[in-house]
Amino acid sequence: MAEYYSSFERGGVRWLLQRVTAVFLIGVLAFHFFLLHFVNHAADITFAGTQARMSQVGYFATMWLFLVTATFHGVNGVYNALVNQGLDGTAKRAVGAVLTLASVALIAQGTRVALAMTDLL
Amino acid sequence: MSTQIEQQEAEEEDEAETEIEPAEKPHQERRLSEKRARAEANERQRREREAVREAENDIRIKVFRYDPEVEGKEEPRFDDFRVPFHKGMTVLDALIYARDHYDSSLTFRHSCRQAVCGSDALFVNGQQRLGCKTQIADLETPVRIEPLPHQDVVKDLVVDMEHFYEQMHAVEPYFQPDDLPEGELEEQRQTPENREKVKMSTRCIWCGACMSSCNIAAGDNQYLGPAAINKAYRFAMDEREGENAKQERIETIEQEHGVWRCQTQFSCTEVCPKDIPLTEHIQELKREAVKSNLKFW
Amino acid sequence: MSETYDRGSVEDFGRWREFQSGMWAWIFHKFTGWVLVGYLFTHIAVLSTATASDPTVYTDTLHGLENLLVVRVLEVGLLAVAVFHILNGVRLLMVDLGLGLESQDKSFYASLVVTAAITVASVPTFLAGV
Repeated sequence: MAEYYSSFERGGVRWLLQRVTAVFLIGVLAFHFFLLHFVNHAADITFAGTQARMSQVGYFATMWLFLVTATFHGVNGVYNALVNQGLDGTAKRAVGAVLTLASVALIAQGTRVALAMTDLL
Repeated sequence: MSTQIEQQEAEEEDEAETEIEPAEKPHQERRLSEKRARAEANERQRREREAVREAENDIRIKVFRYDPEVEGKEEPRFDDFRVPFHKGMTVLDALIYARDHYDSSLTFRHSCRQAVCGSDALFVNGQQRLGCKTQIADLETPVRIEPLPHQDVVKDLVVDMEHFYEQMHAVEPYFQPDDLPEGELEEQRQTPENREKVKMSTRCIWCGACMSSCNIAAGDNQYLGPAAINKAYRFAMDEREGENAKQERIETIEQEHGVWRCQTQFSCTEVCPKDIPLTEHIQELKREAVKSNLKFW
Repeated sequence: MSETYDRGSVEDFGRWREFQSGMWAWIFHKFTGWVLVGYLFTHIAVLSTATASDPTVYTDTLHGLENLLVVRVLEVGLLAVAVFHILNGVRLLMVDLGLGLESQDKSFYASLVVTAAITVASVPTFLAGV
């Protein structure tokens, strides 16, 4: 089976990024939950409050990074779970392409939503 | 693995009572009568031991049967056997008894019966174990004996090991030094610390229990598996092989279906009959791979 | 090789009683992962509709959702799922770093217990004012 292997198929980068994004997400997700359920109650959220938060550049940047890292971590996780189940060959490449497109779409749409929440546009 | 059953201690040997012989009896007769008394005591002991043994339970084993060439065994089924129990009995002993006394078509692999050949890896009461190393006394009866899961069954308890061997061979499981020492009689030395590091990984007996317990190996056919990666570890971490060989080995196992497939489920470590810390070795190789990749950026 | 018997799929749930802790951890982590990814896409979709036009739509949509008891209960569920995924994820990071491998199974049980504790403790806050 050694002839299957080529040096272009390394899986190490995605493995490492999954861990790096994980560390970041632990902090940010906990922060997000805290802010939106304990500090402010979800039932009391108004657009004005949201806008005030999102208009702070630091907060906005954090939220956007949250979006990107969560998308990568989640979609990469899904992809790996499918490969572990035995996804292979053409199907694997097809699924990989679909997931990549879905991630790009999600980040794009998420960015638009985030911008709509600020008063910067 | 010592048996947990404490057999009742055999009755104390009766002291051969030496009667005080009258001084006139010849020495030899005294000796012979002592011998007779001892023989009687021994005979009594043996009979007592046998009575105890017979009072011990027979145990029931349920064995998976399947034979595509025999009508009636084309659909898998479980056969029940009642096997007399004796202290220290192993699963392998029970199977051999069943085969010898009840059904000589019962088929299973076994060889050394001392946990070094790796032939008799079985699925006993829901866990991968070596038949020769598993004490019946440690198990709940009826003992359920099945072939290793996630592998094709050829007949009864025999599974197809070809895939396992392919994965092992894919990592080139043999010593490949970068260069040989100068002189003809020069040895390739290894420090005791290095030997200690690879020591556990050298214990693999190719039984296949680990691969059979790994869910990822079951789902992803191309996954190398814990045994193969452990083999790669054994050589990659051996300092006698040199840097180039180590790099090559790391490149082999850092492919898509190499170390990265491991999800640290730990089942392999749990079932390994030689107590090899497989997951730990795989994790170390992952870290090595990441480090070596980072260096080139 | 032609005459062999297929012994069945990966996680043969018929054998669930024999699963070791590491296997449960893997199954739960996968399950909570799928739920969270599903939620991520749903969340962005809901926010998209809510930020479509003027600010009152946003506030009304959110308040409308938050008034439904089922949404509140689902939020508690989301918290449980997220907390477990985080705690077990921390456990996995420790394993990846090679720390504490001897007690990896105990740390799984610990994550379950802490998840339950945090979830129960958050119920009052989450269900307030419904």
